[in-house]
Amino acid sequence: MRDSAKAVTGSSRRTILKFTAALAAGCALPAFHRRAFAQPASIKVGFPVPLTGPYGSEAADQVRCAQLAIEDFNKAGGLNGRLAELLVRDDKLNAAEAVTRTLELIEKDKVDMIVGSLSGAVLLAVNEACKARGVPYNGLSISDRINEAKDFGPTTYHEGLAPHLSVGALGRYAFAGSSKKVAYLIADYEFGYEMRRAFQSVAEQTGAQTVAEIKHPLGMQDFSSLFPKIISAKPDVLCVLNFGRDQLNVLKQASEFGLKERMSIVVGALSTTQRIAGGADAYAGVIGASNYYWAAETKFASAKAFNAAYAAKYKGGVPSDYGSYGYGGVRSMLELARKAGGVGAAALADAASTGFKFDLYKGPQEIRACDHQSIQAVFILKSKAEAEMKGPNDTFEIVSIVQGDESKLRSCAELGHKA
Amino acid sequence: MKSTAVATPSMWERMDPRRLMGGVSQHRVLASAAVLAVLPLLVPYPALAINVLIYGLFAAGFNLVFGYTGLLSLGHAALFGTGAYGCGIAIAVLGLPWYAAILVGLVFSTVSAALIGGLAIRTRGVYFGMVTLALAQCLYFLFYQWVSVTGGESGLRGVMVPSIDIGPIHLDLFDPVQKYYFLLAFVVLALMAFSRILDSPFGAVIEGIRENENRARASGYNVWFLKWMSFVLSGLFCGLAGALNAIHLGVVSIDSLFYTTSGTVVMMVLLGGMGTFFGPFVGAAAFLSLEDITANWTSHWQLIAGLVFIACVRFFPRGIWGSILARLRA
Repeated sequence: MRDSAKAVTGSSRRTILKFTAALAAGCALPAFHRRAFAQPASIKVGFPVPLTGPYGSEAADQVRCAQLAIEDFNKAGGLNGRLAELLVRDDKLNAAEAVTRTLELIEKDKVDMIVGSLSGAVLLAVNEACKARGVPYNGLSISDRINEAKDFGPTTYHEGLAPHLSVGALGRYAFAGSSKKVAYLIADYEFGYEMRRAFQSVAEQTGAQTVAEIKHPLGMQDFSSLFPKIISAKPDVLCVLNFGRDQLNVLKQASEFGLKERMSIVVGALSTTQRIAGGADAYAGVIGASNYYWAAETKFASAKAFNAAYAAKYKGGVPSDYGSYGYGGVRSMLELARKAGGVGAAALADAASTGFKFDLYKGPQEIRACDHQSIQAVFILKSKAEAEMKGPNDTFEIVSIVQGDESKLRSCAELGHKA
Repeated sequence: MKSTAVATPSMWERMDPRRLMGGVSQHRVLASAAVLAVLPLLVPYPALAINVLIYGLFAAGFNLVFGYTGLLSLGHAALFGTGAYGCGIAIAVLGLPWYAAILVGLVFSTVSAALIGGLAIRTRGVYFGMVTLALAQCLYFLFYQWVSVTGGESGLRGVMVPSIDIGPIHLDLFDPVQKYYFLLAFVVLALMAFSRILDSPFGAVIEGIRENENRARASGYNVWFLKWMSFVLSGLFCGLAGALNAIHLGVVSIDSLFYTTSGTVVMMVLLGGMGTFFGPFVGAAAFLSLEDITANWTSHWQLIAGLVFIACVRFFPRGIWGSILARLRA
């Protein structure tokens, strides 16, 4: 009995020793990691973006552009010799995951600032975590809500366009002329509603008349059943307020149905990756708003430099609209730090409170003092047909670049900020 | 006297895994608490440790219904999510203190569990899974549309509990380590209750129902009621996990009610070992660490995670912890 027990204990002693050693090594590993990679001198920029999920390709280009921003800042000498580094994390387009990653960046990596996110819900969640911990955060997603006093904090910055600004510019272009008849096709969630509200305020100014308003659930496959209702309303303009695969399906089916011959089609948000996924035929003639298009290099020296640096670093290609947010978001925060002479949240907010103007990649931009919204140009683009394209990157024609100014945003008082 | 001296095992004999297992399973709550207490040292960063803690508790609550009672629910996100929203709404909208908010979360999740369980338990097998899934999606859309209170798609923000004072103790919840041990206290209390439930006659009967429902019915037990009770108790644990998650993250996202959350918890329990006391925590740790580490390497992390999951189900049908237990007991 005792012998057999000993036989067992003999082997188990080794097992236990091995286990203890492994445990000790395991305990020591994170500490080793922390020490090996800690570089207190550098400015750490956390960059959580949805590398996996439906916006993966947009996020990947954002990372490329953000790396470029870091390089450009470091080439210019950094902040009195303090160089910047980028810490990329995958937020999986999920708010809880994004907050977890944000906490990792703040608590473990001790980042100085965070830039990122590509959906409204994730943007607001990350902002909340950063606001509570006093870490500056520059959001890249399109959102009107983040500018409102309820969500804004002194650490909040917003490089992404506010729909009120982008859709406002688009609406003024599309509704110009004698009172236009407008039909709306709206994705039944916050994104669609925000766009609809922004179009409504333009419609009131321009006297455009709403003749049809149709909501559709997310992920709808067949839109053709909705078209007879739209055609019978005889609109001059059809506003398509959705994104991703929904937008693609609407435009493909609208082309097949011959809607484009009867009315002009406007989409609230037009992106290069979407256009490439959808093909030239589906998008031909469609008008939309965007934050950036590479052909702006003929107008702005900064855009020319940005495109050239991108092509040099990544061996050709052009930065996408969403990608360029990554550049603008990271670079503008670092330049703000340069103006502030440090990366502390209070110093940055102080520097922003006196207004901060810059031209980094798309012409003049400015951070508004009350809500830290980046006031910037809106690009009104028209998608080219296959025959008009001079190369694979020649997807859009810039029909107008609408310079942003304070009067086109919702006023600080309207957003609930104290004067 | 002499015979006792002979029977007294030496130190190494005491470390015999089989003997150890006996001791550990007698003090399973203490052993679990001890492992969870050193967890922050073993994972790459504290927020991940907190997720393991919270999802472990969620998975343990799910395991009561799935592993112990034998009902595959595909709607447990509803219990986790309503717990989170209950707690979140109490703090962000009603301005209640944290302890009252946790109670509100528990009320939300228990009521949801009572309703979903009440409607679903008449069905069996795959139909039970489908009904729980459908009812959970109903709750998802209810909270999605209730924008004025829940924030709808944008999620609920402002669930801030910066610090906590319990008598002379002051805890700063923005310090991840203090937050971890604060949440651990709740998890240990929940595990004590869980262990007590399993040891009770009720615990024995639900396992009996899992093994042979007709026999349990023939023995005079009200099977419907016992299953429903198990579902409601599960709601209590999952709701607590949800409420703690709301306090941990400071926000409640609508995803917490979505069916993918239900799927995640099924995977965690299968990975860890269904019907085992500590398996859900092992499953949560394995699932979250795998996701975390592979996501840092490649954006195709789902492929790797999926392959590992398939391998686990194929080669360790008892789950990681279940297989270890089986090996040690053999």
